Amino acid sequence: MRRIFPILTALLITVLCSSTAWGQSKWGHISGDFGFNGMYYIPDSIIGAKEVKEKVRANTWLNLNYTNSGFTAGLRYEFYSYPLIDFEDIGYKGQGLTHYFLDYKNDFIQVTAGTFYEQFGNGFTLRAYEDRQLGIDNSLLGARIKVTPYKGITLKGVWGIERKNFDFEYTKRHDYVRGLDAELSFSDMIGTLSEKGFVLSVGGSFVSKYEKSEKDMYITLPDNQTGILSADKIPQNIATWAARLNFGYKGFRLESEFAHKINDPNNTNSYIYKNGNSFLLTASYSMKGFGVEASFIRSDNMDFRSQRDISASTSLLSINYIPAVNRQYTYALLANYTYASQPNGQIGVQAQVNYKIPKGSKLGGKYGIDITANYARFHNVEQKLVPDAEANGLMNGTDGYTSRFFAFGNDLLYQDIGIEFSHRFNNKNWKLDLAYNFITYNLTILQGHPSPMFKGHNVMGKVTYKINTKHALKLELHHLYAKEDDGSWLYGLLEYSIAPHWFISVADQWNYGNADKIHRTHYYNIAAAFVIKTTRISLNFGKTKEGILCIGGVCRSVPASYGLGLTVTTSF
Amino acid sequence: MKKIIILAVFFLTCGSLFAQLDNGARLPSVDLKTLDGETFSTKQMTTGEHPFIVSLWATWCMPCREELDAISLVYEDWVEEFGVTLFAVSIDDSRSASKVAPFVRAKGWEYVVLQDVNSDFKRALNVVDVPFLCVFDQYGNLVWSHTSYAQGGEEEVYEVLKKLQNKDKE
Repeated sequence: MRRIFPILTALLITVLCSSTAWGQSKWGHISGDFGFNGMYYIPDSIIGAKEVKEKVRANTWLNLNYTNSGFTAGLRYEFYSYPLIDFEDIGYKGQGLTHYFLDYKNDFIQVTAGTFYEQFGNGFTLRAYEDRQLGIDNSLLGARIKVTPYKGITLKGVWGIERKNFDFEYTKRHDYVRGLDAELSFSDMIGTLSEKGFVLSVGGSFVSKYEKSEKDMYITLPDNQTGILSADKIPQNIATWAARLNFGYKGFRLESEFAHKINDPNNTNSYIYKNGNSFLLTASYSMKGFGVEASFIRSDNMDFRSQRDISASTSLLSINYIPAVNRQYTYALLANYTYASQPNGQIGVQAQVNYKIPKGSKLGGKYGIDITANYARFHNVEQKLVPDAEANGLMNGTDGYTSRFFAFGNDLLYQDIGIEFSHRFNNKNWKLDLAYNFITYNLTILQGHPSPMFKGHNVMGKVTYKINTKHALKLELHHLYAKEDDGSWLYGLLEYSIAPHWFISVADQWNYGNADKIHRTHYYNIAAAFVIKTTRISLNFGKTKEGILCIGGVCRSVPASYGLGLTVTTSF
Repeated sequence: MKKIIILAVFFLTCGSLFAQLDNGARLPSVDLKTLDGETFSTKQMTTGEHPFIVSLWATWCMPCREELDAISLVYEDWVEEFGVTLFAVSIDDSRSASKVAPFVRAKGWEYVVLQDVNSDFKRALNVVDVPFLCVFDQYGNLVWSHTSYAQGGEEEVYEVLKKLQNKDKE
């Protein structure tokens, strides 16, 4: 703490002076953002909110970027020494300069030195990214080069050491990542193709991880009484490659990517030597007023980390990203049953249809009705144990299992059937949204606690009434009917907003159907927010259920909490 | 706890100071993708003739959809009055990126929709949360930006465009 203040103050003063002096001139520009997210914790034994010794915890960060024509320099200081308890749970605790880089870009080349984020294709082989709300930051410290030698051709090369929370001892690390990616867009290169409505591009990537193996590993092995996996049997270089295709003709589009990973015994796959693979195929067609999209995904043994002993419970040191392609809901009650991608074993399909009952039609009224229907189903992959593993009832150190490529495993992981309507009435100040979902969710595999399959019916209704040009009222009611897990829930929200500055809301999530009477709790929440331009200050008081927080397809569990929260964020 | 409060006050003060410094920011140069998967450089947004709006959104973000729905009711008028173009940049990642085109076309939005699948543009603009809307003048200078959406918030965007037009006439 004593160390950080002088540094921050000096930094801020420098920046303040420089940006006022240089603000609009040819000397470049300084921009950035910062956030403070703090909470005063109150213990509550019924919901399981534990006592927090310091009472108050907070996450704070500051980003600064300096740009001058093609040059950008940036840094971020994160102060998470006393973080919100859910961040502490995943080990995201500490402080320091976590992001710093120099970047030069022109039409031909881009070079970056320092920490950077990058994605190849869908991310099957490499995705260095961050999600501050989830406490994920997989940036690479090293160098990146991106070249566009000719319109439509993009080549990328990266080398770096992956960030591991607040462990800054990079010099002591014995693991790093290097990768190459190339993309050829024929429709960018050949003008006549795109004039005729064709889109065609192909791409490929190669990513390799090096991790020194000098120590024998002590794990239970089926054929070895000592339980030692000797260091010379652990591969030090792990390679992945992927190929992708994007084809389009007018409203039709087909996208596909296939990735392969060579033997990578690690903690998430019980140290097996089986190769991994991922395959994604998406087809879509869209025109004005109508869109349909369907995809198939398979992913087997594709968890890929910088260090082999990291457990699968967090996203720490993940090199790649395997998306879960189902639709993601932000509805209060359904959010607790969001499907989390299973890179080591999932196979599934998903489809979505968007349709607009036209404006001006008898049914659609003046503004039309938006309809969305979707379906998703995921299973585990089929696993047939290899003889070694079969004989000893243990996969460790063997080739693990074999699996037919298109075979669905016996365990259903998740299923969602949903439909949603959205309609603005002829009196345009009234808007109505309705949604129904039937969710099947495998608690045993997805949340790791043995329970019967969760089956829930969720109904959501939302009315928005614009009182005048600035004042509006929003009412939401949700009902989740279920017998398993915590049973049924009711949720209500009333929000009053005065554009563009004020939001006030009260909400309550009531677990009225819990089998255990003492847990029929009200998770209420009162919130107020004030927004001016890019600054947002919000205050909330209430209870949060223990559950799963998902953003952009990645999830982590959050503990129950009760208390007063203050969030301040700004961009400048 | 004291430390945290001090820190909060410190950051707040700095924040309000910084908020005053909304000057000189230029549109960052980042490569995005069109709905067909072709490369689109943000440089192409600047035409030298008309101002433009950049709105960062995602298919899973309700307030973002509400904001773009509300603007779609008045967009035609804005185009006519100011010659403005709205670039709706989706930050959906590879999980939902392929759902963007069917969603947008079914909605019938007339915006230029672009995709920023690994949030590079979002970071370059220092965006914390979506929705985030910025107005740039015809030369790519940042005129105004805003986060969050409340019903009726589009009126403020209109005022900004109007002011920008009047300033140009002077």
